[in-house]
Amino acid sequence: MSVLRRCLLSALLAVVFLGVPRGWAQAAPPPAFDPALIQAGRQLFQQNCAFCHGRDAGGGETGPDLTRSALVAADHGGDKINAVVRSGRPDKGMPKFEFSDAQLDGLVAFIHTQAIKAKSPNGGRRGVDAADLLTGNVAAGEAFFNGAGHCTSCHAASGDMAGIGNRLQGLKLEERLLYPWGAPATLTVTLPSGETVTGRLAHRDEFTVALRDASGWYRSWPVSEVHYTVAEPAEAHANLLDKYTDADIHNLIAYLHSLRQR
Amino acid sequence: MTILDRLFRSCVPGAVLYAALAAPLAVPLDAQGLDPATLLHPTADSWPLYHGDYSGRRHSPLTQITPTNVHALGLAWAFQTQQPATLKSSPLLVHGVLYFTVPDNVWAVDARSGQQIWHYTYHPNIGMHIGHRGVAMYKDWLYFETPDAHLLCLNAKDGTLRWDVVLADVNQGYWSTMAPLIVHNHVIVGVSGDFDNLRGFLKAIDPDTGKLQWEWDSTPPAGTPGAPTGGMTWMTGTYDPDLNLVYWGTGNPTPVLTATTRPGDDLYTCSIVALDPDTGKLVWAFQPSPHDTHDWDAVETPVLVDGDFHGQPRHMLMQTSRNGYFFVLDRTNGKSLLTAPFGPVNWALGIDAQGRPIPNPAKEPAPDGRLLAPDEGGLTNYRSPSFDPRTGLFLVNAHPSYGIYFAKPADGTFGWAGADYGVWGKSVLEAIDYQTGKLRWTHELGRGSGAGVLSTESGLTFTADSSGNVLALATADGHTLWHAGAGAGMETSPITYELDGRQYVLTGVGGVLYAWALPETSAAR
Repeated sequence: MSVLRRCLLSALLAVVFLGVPRGWAQAAPPPAFDPALIQAGRQLFQQNCAFCHGRDAGGGETGPDLTRSALVAADHGGDKINAVVRSGRPDKGMPKFEFSDAQLDGLVAFIHTQAIKAKSPNGGRRGVDAADLLTGNVAAGEAFFNGAGHCTSCHAASGDMAGIGNRLQGLKLEERLLYPWGAPATLTVTLPSGETVTGRLAHRDEFTVALRDASGWYRSWPVSEVHYTVAEPAEAHANLLDKYTDADIHNLIAYLHSLRQR
Repeated sequence: MTILDRLFRSCVPGAVLYAALAAPLAVPLDAQGLDPATLLHPTADSWPLYHGDYSGRRHSPLTQITPTNVHALGLAWAFQTQQPATLKSSPLLVHGVLYFTVPDNVWAVDARSGQQIWHYTYHPNIGMHIGHRGVAMYKDWLYFETPDAHLLCLNAKDGTLRWDVVLADVNQGYWSTMAPLIVHNHVIVGVSGDFDNLRGFLKAIDPDTGKLQWEWDSTPPAGTPGAPTGGMTWMTGTYDPDLNLVYWGTGNPTPVLTATTRPGDDLYTCSIVALDPDTGKLVWAFQPSPHDTHDWDAVETPVLVDGDFHGQPRHMLMQTSRNGYFFVLDRTNGKSLLTAPFGPVNWALGIDAQGRPIPNPAKEPAPDGRLLAPDEGGLTNYRSPSFDPRTGLFLVNAHPSYGIYFAKPADGTFGWAGADYGVWGKSVLEAIDYQTGKLRWTHELGRGSGAGVLSTESGLTFTADSSGNVLALATADGHTLWHAGAGAGMETSPITYELDGRQYVLTGVGGVLYAWALPETSAAR
């Protein structure tokens, strides 16, 4: 790489990673948010969000690329983002943050500005496009689905999987296929009286089990006082993780993607 | 302001009188400082280093709390930080005072009662506020790294600032989280910075003046053709006084997931290095992850153990590395004694003659993704393991897990340069036989814990599960002897000490520091 090209690249990277200098902002299309608001949001983002979501919101350690997030795309003035920030996503490891309304306004302005910037030709966008994942073979995927994967123990191409390619694509499809977080599990508890209670598993640790019963009430027991069993069909996905080749996964994605309805 | 200060100020208006009255009291207060020589042999009523001692074993000689009486363990006190940040630090304990941190905050708290003595707050700054591991102490002074990569020297008596020096430029993308290590008259400090192509380094700082004594760089200057950047030094190392060697783990190379610009092993990233603490000169290095493309820092505690290995007395160094392998080295020369996986790993073709896993090129991040075990968080991470010499068990909170890794030319060669996503994982406390690397027992901890581990000479192991339960287990077989719900996953490593004849176990959970002890009436005296 020439010195000039390296300089240009450095300058571009400085813009991407350190934010937009004033001169650049004036040359670009008019920003949708007040620059001071974006700057305040950028600072808050650097401190609290950048480790997981990247300094440019384009993805970092574990956290998704927000510039291509469906939730961000659907957000208007924080009506979707604010709730996620305030409540967190404990199931995905995202903590909640106690930010003021003014702080959230800045954060929303920064995230949207980054999403707009990432769509530009030189946006340095990272991450996964649905097309990236379609390298597999449909027939081989179908064979795995019906054979080695034992997927038909729970799923049917003409049943629950019909139209899966319409409902899920790309990375979302792959993540769901590899392990469907939040899939329901059923807890059955036998009380000392002999009575059994069955419901959706709500909590389980070494000391306590809990469910939501048919009427919707939460009920818990000390494990030392009851016998219990958990039916967790999603564990079949976890059990495949040490058996897949990378080709198996890509073939399965291709096959599931082909299960589209027109 | 201390309670003593407040008492004087309320009783005696006037600075001159205050100073005159305070002066005689300054003599016993000066005796509260930490003599660096005592770091070689910490007493039971202290925890004067991040790991408790220089070995990193986190194994305490205390025996008041035992497998027989631990069922009676209860809350002695709790301290609320009243901060949204999660505690990730190990407290220091010196002369009855605990010192601990979250980003931008340091507290001094009475170890007997949990009463606050002082609270220092750093000014708002743009550094990454991902976590903070704690402070170091030398004589009357504390050393505190800030999110924007400054090193502060605070007066341990009252938390006032003595000096503030810049370690690295936050605007380039550096930040810091680690607790410094004191060796002789050196404050040894490291930094973080994965999102930019930056050089990792260790620095030794003069404890009195804040001046640089030496710098050791883990990678060449940014822009060196064919060379990596990175090798961040974000966890506290260990020290062998007899060999006079400091042992430190270095982080992953950058760009992180794309390696086209950095062919080869990428020294000294993902390495364990042995340095002369007085000069910063490299004595030996061992690389757990040659040519890493999965963010598997080798910064996990390099635990120092002396003992038998396959019939020979050895000075060993052990690490459960983020990449999923357990390493035993001869710490006099860095030669491998044992390399064994301690959970699911699928990225290596085998082990080379030096004891290093050989990375499989087919498992480098790719445009259509590669399934990796472990995930990016690794088979373990920054929370401390423990080594129990009684049983020869290396106790670690492991994270069997899978993730998917992507990289394509459009992702570039700067910073992360790709994307990765965890797909599944769980948490298991593992007891590894260091002679074989085999698991003697395991204890399931739920889906997402990552708590540190402490063992004691009475045969107890303290850790926590992912539902917020603090646990005491029997070190011999891992069965649960005691638990208490603490309200959040524990992201700290427990410590223990004995004051006034009473043993305390400290666990930082969420924003609360809990001190557990036997009831005062039944404490064995």
